[in-house]
Amino acid sequence: MANKSGKAYGLTTLCPIVNSVRDKQSFSALTRDRLEKLPVHEKSPFTKVPNTYLCRLFVLNDVFFEGKPANYEHLQSKYLVFTSNFYGDLDTYLHGMWQSAQQDVKDIWEFCVGFSKVNDADSFIKYIKQCQVKTMLYFNGSTDDPLREQLKSLYLKQELSKFVYANQGKKPEELKAAFDEFIERVQPTNLDGPTWRCGASTLEAAVTHNEV
Amino acid sequence: MKTNLDLRDIQGNIVKGYGRFGFPKARYILYRVKASGAGRNFVTDLIPFITTSVKWVSSNSTEEGEPKPKVTTNIAFTYEGLKILDIPEVSLHSFPDEFSMGMKGRVDILGDDGASAPDNWDPVWKLIDQIHILVSINGETIEDIEHRYKEISECLSEGVEQLDGHKGDDGIELPYQDGSAIYDGKTPTPKEHFGYTDGISDPYFRGSGASAISVVGGGKRTREDATTEAGWEPLETGEFLLGHKDESDEYPTAPIPHLLSRNGTFMVFRKLHQNVGLFNAYLEKEGARFSGGAEELAAKFAGRWRNGAPLVDFPTEKSAKEFIERFLKARENSIAASAENKEAARAKYLALKQKLVAFDFDKDIPGSKCPVGSHIRRVNPRGSLEFGKKKAFNTHGALVNRRRIARRGLPYGDVKDPSSNDGNHGIIFMALNANIKRQFEFVQQQWINYGNDFKLANDKDPLLGNHQSKESGGGDGRMVIEADPNGDRPPFFCQAIPRFVETRGGDYFFIPSLTALRLIGAGLVDPT
Repeated sequence: MANKSGKAYGLTTLCPIVNSVRDKQSFSALTRDRLEKLPVHEKSPFTKVPNTYLCRLFVLNDVFFEGKPANYEHLQSKYLVFTSNFYGDLDTYLHGMWQSAQQDVKDIWEFCVGFSKVNDADSFIKYIKQCQVKTMLYFNGSTDDPLREQLKSLYLKQELSKFVYANQGKKPEELKAAFDEFIERVQPTNLDGPTWRCGASTLEAAVTHNEV
Repeated sequence: MKTNLDLRDIQGNIVKGYGRFGFPKARYILYRVKASGAGRNFVTDLIPFITTSVKWVSSNSTEEGEPKPKVTTNIAFTYEGLKILDIPEVSLHSFPDEFSMGMKGRVDILGDDGASAPDNWDPVWKLIDQIHILVSINGETIEDIEHRYKEISECLSEGVEQLDGHKGDDGIELPYQDGSAIYDGKTPTPKEHFGYTDGISDPYFRGSGASAISVVGGGKRTREDATTEAGWEPLETGEFLLGHKDESDEYPTAPIPHLLSRNGTFMVFRKLHQNVGLFNAYLEKEGARFSGGAEELAAKFAGRWRNGAPLVDFPTEKSAKEFIERFLKARENSIAASAENKEAARAKYLALKQKLVAFDFDKDIPGSKCPVGSHIRRVNPRGSLEFGKKKAFNTHGALVNRRRIARRGLPYGDVKDPSSNDGNHGIIFMALNANIKRQFEFVQQQWINYGNDFKLANDKDPLLGNHQSKESGGGDGRMVIEADPNGDRPPFFCQAIPRFVETRGGDYFFIPSLTALRLIGAGLVDPT
């Protein structure tokens, strides 16, 4: 089914960019500048948006001409493309996005047609839905579980692997004691921490003990 | 389909390796061209010495060919070398990027960092843009090599400088790099310095000079049984020779004009130092904890026992030993057999020899015999990247057939103290392939220094991986030795694996055909 794969949702939106200029730069160029300056990995604003598995932003200049016999044609305007794979339903996700990353959203979408009328979560949700197109392909690096559960699983997998390397060959009673200590430390059922940090791209940046 | 390669146009050691039994000694010499005219004259003067791929036949044979020489000579060029030899700019620009960047420009992809970084290479390999020509001599004896070396040196003029700075014994710097098989008394062996029998498996391609039966184990996998001829097909010639059809049914990317590239290939040359002390110490320490002991641990690292027997078919040391004894005996018998018994004795020997390579990992998907992360399973996965899922890809070897490399080369130096890492010993590794980026570099980056394709996360090749040093001592290398899912033995986790092999130099070379060599020498390469 389009847009849903199990509990994962695939959002694709194409928001037209106003065909205008400020300080000798087109709005599409200004939008691209802002995208290029967005922090990435654990510093990305989208780490604040609950349940984001993976999202991408780019400016679509035009359709690509594949050569004859394809038609040579053009888009009416340039588009800001936002795609996101996340857990849950669309309204909840967009609501969370507006609540947790409002300023970033305003900066990114500022030059899009009609975005000036967006002033709260409801109008943002309505706006994005108007720009939505069907999604059929999904990010292959994720399950469809809530993000916090996936991050905890990653953390546990990593820690268990370290535990195995550190403790192989121990006598059963020593192993049991070490394992009890391990369980106490990693708190398998506590999603608040310790766990993987959202967006972490290195092992050093990955483990957090207090947030999410 | 029959493939007729123009063997007299293709340099030697390409369609068939010279082999360490036939030519246990080698010398590699690097030159810098200072004046293009003198450089081209040097190339032209060397042409009569160049060994081709023509078949070697005995003097009373009626087959087309030539008698085997006592010494061979081959020549290759770096990008900078071609540039200074007046190859037109249009041709130069048509060479692949990785070749024009050279090996030093690709260290990030190759993982040549830390002890393997160019700062730590032999002085000659540190030179920037000054290595232009490589001449390799292979010989039956060191005297044969010296003789040919003298002949070549006589071709030198003021405009061509032989480069100094290859590290030899006790840190002395030599004007050449020598290679030699490791000897057992007076007999050359196929061993390398860690004690493994090396160079067992090599790709078999259409037109290859190896015996046709070598397609079994050397070709690409079909969906039939890996122990039978139906289980294999030759790889396309264009994976190893430019100007011929490759595995994607087209010509490989090659420089223009066609005459410059056809029947040529690219070669990766790497001087690899072996930390023998670290290797032996690691085997001893971890082998004491591993239920199979040090020797089995060495086998699990490689995917073969050190005597060469593949783990998949010979999972115990005893079975491996018995097999290799039978194999060596059959070889002796084959050599010693009388005329009337010769054919039968040879057939018996070849059948056993085939067992060294005629296998895959389909019977051992979990890796309980041959670990998924072992060296041979990484660098030549033989169809196992389907992970046992029938017809996961269009062909069994879909992810492997374009990543094959032909290995040539010899060990260098002697291990005088098996507990020490210092000293002058390692391997001169040479890989031949039509596309360095797609073949050698991919294998090095993705299969040796990474583990994702094998579902092994960041784990690296235990033997060749660029394991990083840890402040606490040792390395950060890890390897899982899988257990039999139905057995009692737990899996074993090797950790703190240090870097056993370090790069000490090397570069990317183009090996032209004889036709192209004549054009280069004459200054007649014309891309228009």
